[in-house]
Amino acid sequence: MKGFGIEFVPMEPYWRTTYYSIQAEKLGYDNIWVTDHFNNRNVYVSLSIIANYTDRIKLGPGVTNPYLVHPAMTAQSVASLNEIAPGRVICGIGAGDRTTLNMVGVEMKSPLRTVREAVDVIRRQIAREKGEYEGRVFKTSSGARFNFKVRDRIHVYVGAQGPRMLQLAGSIGDGALINASHPDDLAEAVKYVRLGVEKAGRKMDDIDIAAYTSFSISVDEKKARKATVPVVAYIVAGSPPQILEKHDVSLEKAGQIRDDLANRRWGEAFGAVDSNMIDSFTVCGNPDQCMDKIEELFHTGITQFVTGSPLGPKIRSSIDIFGREILPQFRER
Amino acid sequence: MTFENLVERISNERRQELSERLLDALLEAEDAENVPSSLAKTFLNDAHHDRLASEAGLTNLLKAVEAADPNKVAVILGEFGIE
Repeated sequence: MKGFGIEFVPMEPYWRTTYYSIQAEKLGYDNIWVTDHFNNRNVYVSLSIIANYTDRIKLGPGVTNPYLVHPAMTAQSVASLNEIAPGRVICGIGAGDRTTLNMVGVEMKSPLRTVREAVDVIRRQIAREKGEYEGRVFKTSSGARFNFKVRDRIHVYVGAQGPRMLQLAGSIGDGALINASHPDDLAEAVKYVRLGVEKAGRKMDDIDIAAYTSFSISVDEKKARKATVPVVAYIVAGSPPQILEKHDVSLEKAGQIRDDLANRRWGEAFGAVDSNMIDSFTVCGNPDQCMDKIEELFHTGITQFVTGSPLGPKIRSSIDIFGREILPQFRER
Repeated sequence: MTFENLVERISNERRQELSERLLDALLEAEDAENVPSSLAKTFLNDAHHDRLASEAGLTNLLKAVEAADPNKVAVILGEFGIE
């Protein structure tokens, strides 16, 4: 199975994000993932309007987190979205990113347990399960059931990067959204997902393993690479030390980028991004280069390739290039 | 002259090309927030139903580009021989 998703960060007016979603659906994408950060437009408002102007493509948060939004509310949101777009809703949830949580004084405590319990709560709420839920992080009483039924199954994807979260994704997720773009990172990630799958007595076919990449395509390779710089700065700022060291990125440099971003010193943060970082943390280039890289990534065991931010120097053109030159080559096989 | 009148002067063969040109201008304009939400929703409806290159679709695109980047409208129409 080879699926294709696209990520949108709702930084622009809603109608632009919605237009790009219409475009993505018409070109044959399978999934839309909309990011959830408090400093951009609300994820569910964005998804609702996208649902109104599309017919087939699946859509959902990619990813929300259980620190800023209680999972009962996430369950409510995706269940309500399912009424607008029956059978088309997916739900990505992860621990979030520390940089953003720090901005509002929220600590990422016990991420594994918190995400695990959040997924439990979301599923229980959607299924309108009776009885209480007594987790260590989340509790719901028997009175917390929805007042409405959810007719369709909503697949829950776990956003993961580190080994333990990847294993969790394998053990409980309908899918895994892996924050990685390099084949070595993805191959290793798939191994951890497989470990989780096997420990839980599941099969690899039970789970959709998505490479949630930073992506940029243009007929001009230089423009494609340049477009990735701001996103790569955030990736470097949020990556764990072991990933940075694996790709020869100095921890000190990453820390400085993190500090610059937190204090809105964009020029300094983006100016520190180098070619090695772009190669390590993105899939970018001209169509032939991107095609080669995507093929290599599918060989690592992923089943969905997500074209994540920035998409390219000009979004409409980049979506068009991907939809006309890359997607058909995989559909023909 | 209204946008409707101007659009009528565009040949059928060039309407798709004009819609592409206007679309790029609209999606790249700096003052996107000046596009009224009602017009934006009309534009989305046209996009959803593949009507951007129709007379109505082009008229709506022109209105939207005028809101987001007024200087661009005359430039683009000039490229299509409409002054």
